[in-house]
Amino acid sequence: RTTNAQEILDQKVSINVSQQEVEKILEKIETEANIKFMYSPQLIMANRKVSLVVKKEKLSTVLEELLKPLKINYEVVGRKILLKRLSPKTALKMDVEDKLGILESNIVEQTIKGKITDAENNETIAGVSIAIKGTTQGTTTDANGNFSLVVPNEKAVLVITSVGYDPQEITVGNRFTINISLVPDTKNLNEVVVVGYGTQKVTNVSGAIATVKGADIEKLRPVRPEDALQGRASGVTVISNGSPGSKPTVLIRGIPSFSGTDPVVIIDGVPQTLNDFNSINSADIESMNVLKDAATTAIYGVKGGNGVIVVTTKSGGKNQKAEISYSSNYGVQQVMNTIGVLNATEYAAILNEGSLVSGGGLIFKDLSTVGVGTDWQKQVFKDAPLQSHNVSVKGGSEKVQYFLSGGYLGQDGIVGGGENSNFNRLNFTTNLTFQIAPKLKFLANTSYVNIKSVGVQENSFNSIIGSALNFDPTVSVLNTVPNTVGKYGFSNLLLSEIFNPLTKLDNNYNESNGNKLYGKLEFQYEVIKNLTLSSRFGYTNFNNTYKSFTPLVFYGPLNVENTMNADGSTVTGRHNSVYESKRTDNTYTFETFGTYNFKINNDHNFETVLGISLAKIAGDEINGSRQDVPFNSWTFADLTSATGINTATNTNAQTVGNGQYFRKNLSYFGRVNYDYKDKYLVSFSARRDGSYAFGIDNKFANFYAGSLGWVISNEDFFSVDFLNYLKIRGSYGSIGNENVNPQYVGIISGGPSYAGDANSNGYTFGNTFTTGSTVGSYANTTLRWEKQLQSNFGFDIRFGNNKWSLSADYFDKSVDGLLFTPSISLYLGAAAAPTANIGSTKSSGVDLNLGYNAEILKDLKLNTNVTFTTSKNLVTATNSDGTAIIPGGSYFNGQSQTATRFQQGFAPGYFYGFKTNGLFQNTAQIAEAPTQTGAVPGDIRFVDVNGDGQITDLDKTQIGNPFPDFTMGWNLGITYKSLDLNVFTYASVGNDIYRAYERNAIYSNKFRSVLGRWTGEGSTNDANNPRFSFVDANSNIRVSDRYIEDGTFVKIKNIQLGYTLPYSLVPKKVVNKIRIYAQVKNAFTFTKYSGYDPEIPGGVLDTGVDRGNYPQARTWSIGVDVRF
Amino acid sequence: CSEWVDYSPKDDYRVTDQDYLKSSADYQSMAVSVYTPIQWLNQLVPVGDIASENAVAGGENASDVLDLQNIDDLTLTAQNGTLAELWKASYEGINRANYLYQYKDKNPAGEVIAFPEKEVMYGEVAFLRAYYYFTLVKVFGNVPLFMDRKLGIADSRTLKQAPKADVYAQIEKDLTNAIAVLPSTDPKNGKITKFAAQALLGKVYLYQNKFDLAASTLKSVIDGPYSLVSNFGDIFLQSGENGAEAVFEIQYSNLSPYYNWGGVTRGQGNLAVQQCGIRGLTGNSPYAAGWSTNLPTQDLANAYQAGDKRKDVTCLDIEAYKNANPGFGITYQVAPYKNTGLYNQKYLPRKGESSGQIELNYLNNQRIIRLSDVYLMYAEALNRKASPDDANAQLYLNRVRQRAFGDNAHNISATGNTLKEAIWAERRLELGMEGDRFFDLVRTGQAATKIKNFVVGKNEVFPIPQAEIEVSGLVQNAGY
Repeated sequence: RTTNAQEILDQKVSINVSQQEVEKILEKIETEANIKFMYSPQLIMANRKVSLVVKKEKLSTVLEELLKPLKINYEVVGRKILLKRLSPKTALKMDVEDKLGILESNIVEQTIKGKITDAENNETIAGVSIAIKGTTQGTTTDANGNFSLVVPNEKAVLVITSVGYDPQEITVGNRFTINISLVPDTKNLNEVVVVGYGTQKVTNVSGAIATVKGADIEKLRPVRPEDALQGRASGVTVISNGSPGSKPTVLIRGIPSFSGTDPVVIIDGVPQTLNDFNSINSADIESMNVLKDAATTAIYGVKGGNGVIVVTTKSGGKNQKAEISYSSNYGVQQVMNTIGVLNATEYAAILNEGSLVSGGGLIFKDLSTVGVGTDWQKQVFKDAPLQSHNVSVKGGSEKVQYFLSGGYLGQDGIVGGGENSNFNRLNFTTNLTFQIAPKLKFLANTSYVNIKSVGVQENSFNSIIGSALNFDPTVSVLNTVPNTVGKYGFSNLLLSEIFNPLTKLDNNYNESNGNKLYGKLEFQYEVIKNLTLSSRFGYTNFNNTYKSFTPLVFYGPLNVENTMNADGSTVTGRHNSVYESKRTDNTYTFETFGTYNFKINNDHNFETVLGISLAKIAGDEINGSRQDVPFNSWTFADLTSATGINTATNTNAQTVGNGQYFRKNLSYFGRVNYDYKDKYLVSFSARRDGSYAFGIDNKFANFYAGSLGWVISNEDFFSVDFLNYLKIRGSYGSIGNENVNPQYVGIISGGPSYAGDANSNGYTFGNTFTTGSTVGSYANTTLRWEKQLQSNFGFDIRFGNNKWSLSADYFDKSVDGLLFTPSISLYLGAAAAPTANIGSTKSSGVDLNLGYNAEILKDLKLNTNVTFTTSKNLVTATNSDGTAIIPGGSYFNGQSQTATRFQQGFAPGYFYGFKTNGLFQNTAQIAEAPTQTGAVPGDIRFVDVNGDGQITDLDKTQIGNPFPDFTMGWNLGITYKSLDLNVFTYASVGNDIYRAYERNAIYSNKFRSVLGRWTGEGSTNDANNPRFSFVDANSNIRVSDRYIEDGTFVKIKNIQLGYTLPYSLVPKKVVNKIRIYAQVKNAFTFTKYSGYDPEIPGGVLDTGVDRGNYPQARTWSIGVDVRF
Repeated sequence: CSEWVDYSPKDDYRVTDQDYLKSSADYQSMAVSVYTPIQWLNQLVPVGDIASENAVAGGENASDVLDLQNIDDLTLTAQNGTLAELWKASYEGINRANYLYQYKDKNPAGEVIAFPEKEVMYGEVAFLRAYYYFTLVKVFGNVPLFMDRKLGIADSRTLKQAPKADVYAQIEKDLTNAIAVLPSTDPKNGKITKFAAQALLGKVYLYQNKFDLAASTLKSVIDGPYSLVSNFGDIFLQSGENGAEAVFEIQYSNLSPYYNWGGVTRGQGNLAVQQCGIRGLTGNSPYAAGWSTNLPTQDLANAYQAGDKRKDVTCLDIEAYKNANPGFGITYQVAPYKNTGLYNQKYLPRKGESSGQIELNYLNNQRIIRLSDVYLMYAEALNRKASPDDANAQLYLNRVRQRAFGDNAHNISATGNTLKEAIWAERRLELGMEGDRFFDLVRTGQAATKIKNFVVGKNEVFPIPQAEIEVSGLVQNAGY
């Protein structure tokens, strides 16, 4: 015995037990003496009960006393003590010995204990099979994922297998505890995917579905779940911005329409909208499936046209021990880069030049005194915290299963910091399942969410960012002028529109507070085996209050927009005001459907579903405003304390407004899935939808889709060793888009109209305003949904020992009956034309997903995934003669401009303007060129596209496309022992950006490119850098490709490095697992774009128009995940 | 359960055509809204001067107010938003008027709704329809003409243009009908009177060179209750609105503050006022800042003789005004584009005369027909009719001049053609910056000699909006 062994045996221990199992006593000694026993419970018969009382005795004495009567011998090996039975003749031992042919003397039997967990979510797995390779010996894990197994010796190999996971083999070695994490097998034959009104085996799916797992979402920890779809779900384009909690643009397979491209969101079977993604805690999500083609979406009929995102939240398992998880994350966000604007001296110099060139005098007499001035961007952007904390518990008995969670997420905005923009969310979720009777199950999912947020003015030249970019840099941060109110400096040059951004922030008061309750109640009744009737009631109730305060502000002594004078008094006729609104949205869906699965002759498999759905969406808002808030203070900003009273000349002192809407649907649906021996797959679905919004001639619509699949690798003749799995599939069907509102010939009454058609009423007689009324709308009784026909062809393969997987899809869709506002004769008057089903679009594209998942070296696991998404979109018709055009992308740079169009023959939302061809260098060039009014040397030479010899509006043409040619996502996961690294990279290629944040007013600040301006013949011919002058008779600022930039980018969106604490460091018995990690979001962006962020979301007509878009922040964070 | 998806507008609390025109109040409410689109025509005033030699478009730069720039330079294309708005507003007014005619005898439910004011009300509607058609015919020439009903969506793309003569005939008919039923005065300022209809009819005759009819019709107005305001400048003050000289004013107010930047001309306020204001103006003068568009030219200022009180009322020389009133502490930004140093004082924005969204809510009425205009039209008709009456023509011309100079020393005694020229010249001076000039020059055949870039046979009318050409297949005016 070594000294070491002697030391161990000399330790003093105290034990006092009576009639306890030997196993328990050994455990006690383990704790007392900090040692480990290695033994086979069967061999030593560890369940025998004995009594033992020792007080501060040597371990050796204790062991003698305990083990001798039991006929057990012991041996110290390191800090472990090996127990062996003295008598070898037990049945089990004999059995093992015989099988392995090992002589008794060589046997060192070991009892291996361990826990099996899921590598992705670290949850324990019950029912995992652990077998000793080459024998019939084995065991399975219990409800908590624990197992124990006697193995003959250290050379034994354990084979661990479980449905849905990659099998593993592990050599025991001299370990006695083996905790194993299993990697989920994404290609598993029995894995199911949640589809509309049911689930389907992944291998039997013949439609197009992309899946993002909860584990991937957990790696990202997004504020909104859409962020987790970006680049991870092929066929989905997500364009986000950085405003806390804001909704991104989400396009599933292209742009079918100029409005309403949001996919439908189904949360646990209940229809919701993309807006509702602001209120779901991403930590509660088990999986997200994106249904892309007609075969998978037609069962949602008129709502399926933009694709469907099916979200499944977590739930408890049967007979699962309560498992508590806690996770916490804290980070700091910062702006990634700033935009180059002129410093004060450069600004002063360029203003002097502009003034002199246009015949004025010097504006700054002495440049040497100007200095560098103020960098307003630096003043506006703040480092802002982002944090989330979640706790959840799940488990269940035979009769009741539960998942409970609570979460908090707080994101402050980098523009102006947390007091000016933030998003705070509190979530509580309970998902309960009750087995009320053997055949009757009841599910109740309930979530309560509170969202509080504050926002800043965004995405315009006079927003906070727009002001920071365009404001006068010679102004000092703080106001130093005596006898003037106002904390911050002011400009004596910029007298309207653009103000000191700090003054704007200082006067930014608003607050939104929303409470949402949503969920479902569902009964499932098993009528006979495999025939289940489900009836569920899904609901959402959202109540939001909003308040904003517009104080009186002093912008500077010369400013024409002052509402407060320099001495703090009110400008005559101006008022501060408070605005409040209360909004309620109520949605419910009542659905009843039956599913019946049956087999014929064992090889013909049928899964059927048939059901009915009733839905109502309704909401209303009431709002009011009142002027004259006491003390010009946010503290008193409430309708209660404001004192404004309407007078003849001020009818805005007290206002009230309201809005209400509702929508009703009635639908019947059904589906049959059939497969023959898992080889030949057929699916057919149908839906009949009625909508209250359709014209009276078209109340109902029918949708059908079918798909076929062939699993070639299941054929007997298939024998390609390299290919483990091969399926080809195709689908075709019709789906719809219900962005219709009911039409009627309405009478509008009152005064001014704020609708788009500004079809005002009323007139003033004798200084009294008199309201009036008129016929204000038209009805189109043939109005219907937008009808989409989509075909899809794809294949799924796995190869290289199932380590590689590739799914590829080609889709082609055409939308007809696109809801479009036709061009009507102007002589019909001012009322807006009713929308009609007159447009059409076509989209086609490819979605690819390539995965690799394997242990490449000992302890080094790699899983990586690449997605690739393209879609080509074309507007094929707007109306019969193509005259109907929707302009969009409006912005202001001295005049109102529109930069995008939805027009026949072009991509939706393409950039429309003049093409440039360098600069005029001299007057001779101007004389030779097509007539261009106002041009002088140094001005931009525009292209005479139509060749009529003059530059007019007719020369405007396509100058860019905001939507990418393709997007790619690359997810890389590496695990080495207890270290894990996840890197996610996203690329968007070929998207153009229209730079629209430059105000171009005479005294607004300029961008650094102006330093490379044309200064004389031959100085430059770059159309981006025309001469600088206060007078721009050529209109160099018109919409042209001068403002188009290539927005292609590669972003390293997420890097997360995690470390799972070794078992020895984990406080035993309380905690199962602790993982800590560090994370960087938006780590790097590689782009040529000169603005903040090349991701510019918006509607179809606003995407890519950068009016000073709120950029995404780089976030550095650390976090911890604990499992109890 | 398919009733679940049945829709009734009443579920949405919406009033439809089936619920309306069931009482006299409904009819009268609709008649009020026939007035509304005349307010939307406020750009006709700047257009009438900018298109002529009286004013330039101005603005922030060459790309600002592009529609007005094109009108200024006569580099017109059919894609002109300002012109399209005039077209659309006029037709909205016509459709509103027609709807009332459609249900004059019986309402949509087939009931007869009778009330005492009905005839007078239809007189106002007739006048307004005539005013809309007159706007269309003088701006665009041949235009679609329809009277019997409000057009529905099915009527889109079906109508063709009517010859100008037919449009004028309909205008005369409507005005004649209006004159027959309208009262001489209305206690509510702004309601159409018989004299307004007569003055407009006189103008319509003049535009067709029907001088005898013009003279006799205008005489009725001259014999009416109007008198010249002694101090010319007072006409354009708030206190001068609907004054002794006002025959027809389009009413604007700041009582229903408007803030729809998507339809800036469609509120109760007068956008044309904000437009002509001085950029960046500060100080204690009565004027408020604006956008420096529609700037009077030096040519117009120079046309006034010394001593003509109308000069300063029409053209404000801001630098001179600043120097003359140092106490105001005026600072301003020199008009950045096409600066003339002059501003349209008749409609210059004044402090306290707007409300809410300041830019959109100036209360200034547009003086459409003043008594002095009637005098000059009458004088012209007398001078040009089959048997001229130059003596009376001089009398009314000189009444206008006497007020302008405050004496008789500037009276004109010429006759014949010289007198005609003098009347025309006087119209420019008297009505400058009131939106009349371009149409006067076209009407009198002087446009080609007075307006740079004017092409005879083309620029007499403006182009019909391109959208209407494309959608409705109308014939574009020659040269566009």
